[in-house]
Amino acid sequence: MSNVPSDLKYAKSHEWVRLEGELATVGISDHAQHELTDVVFVELPEVGRKVAAGEACAVVESVKTASDIYAPISGEIVEVNASVVNDPGLVNQQPYSGGWFFKLRPSDANEASALLDPAAYDAQIAG
Amino acid sequence: MPRQITEMEIESAKMELPDVKTVRLKWPEGFDPDFKTGQFITVFWPDTPNYKRAYSLSSCALDRGFFEITIKRDGKMGTRMVDWAKAGDRLGVIPPVGKFLPVLEPDAHLLCIAGGSGVTPFRGFVREATRRKLSTRITILYSVRTTNDIIFNDEFRELAQQNPNFSFQVTCTRLSEQDPWTGRRGRIDAAWVKENIVDLPKTTFYACGPNALVDGTEHLVVSEMGLPKAQMKTEKWG
Repeated sequence: MSNVPSDLKYAKSHEWVRLEGELATVGISDHAQHELTDVVFVELPEVGRKVAAGEACAVVESVKTASDIYAPISGEIVEVNASVVNDPGLVNQQPYSGGWFFKLRPSDANEASALLDPAAYDAQIAG
Repeated sequence: MPRQITEMEIESAKMELPDVKTVRLKWPEGFDPDFKTGQFITVFWPDTPNYKRAYSLSSCALDRGFFEITIKRDGKMGTRMVDWAKAGDRLGVIPPVGKFLPVLEPDAHLLCIAGGSGVTPFRGFVREATRRKLSTRITILYSVRTTNDIIFNDEFRELAQQNPNFSFQVTCTRLSEQDPWTGRRGRIDAAWVKENIVDLPKTTFYACGPNALVDGTEHLVVSEMGLPKAQMKTEKWG
């Protein structure tokens, strides 16, 4: 049973978003890290890059496969998590805390409302 | 106990498609492992020992003296392997493990469902059954985007000539309407899978490829057709 925290929003492509003040933190869900298996490499976007919702902006590679990570909402990347680059296993161990990928400043405050709430995301991964 | 790591030299590297390469890893002197067709090995470059990737063997357990893995250009490892790996390079190898094993019994039917590079372990299945002249029936239902993406096309068709119990069937999902391909088009669906069942109780289903394809097949076999999980073997790669 995957952990789906109730205080986050989710993209269908399995990224989570935590909205705090003016910034949004992005990572991948517990379900996603479990499906990927052991993460061995993470490539993150440059700080300052402007991304559109749905745009591939990072790569996560596990022992079995490589996958693009998509920006769940549009905005400017303001910070990336260097720890996860140095220790990709954090994505598996702490998907919702130490394993975050990047923070962005949303360019459209309304976009986040189109993301899935925890119940909808839970239903998606259960189905 | 951690699995033993063995350094192996790349004996040969062959491009199968513009973005797919088969690498043959030569066993070192005295290395003679007990392993099974369908298992996978884990490899890494000696300069990045913490960065490992697992690949299904595309060779079979009757192949002695080497392992073959067939790699698609994806991610950092897949790109380095496809673009740069060459004969004489050395890789760290964790020996084969895994439970994606063919049930090569005389009256069994292995219905193998593959997407993209998920077809690679099935080459080992068919290779072993053909060399041993087994009566085991093997059917591969293989989904690719276009006719340019069929891995081992010639080899599978040659094996089908040699082995009357083997059938290789391809479906293309992204061909233009003008393409002269006369074979099947569209995704693998329940109807096509069911068409290929000869004797359900004796059929074991194998699915290897993207998660959606593997999950879809498992749902069909276990939930929809109500077969026991023992008749469904899966290998997901993402």
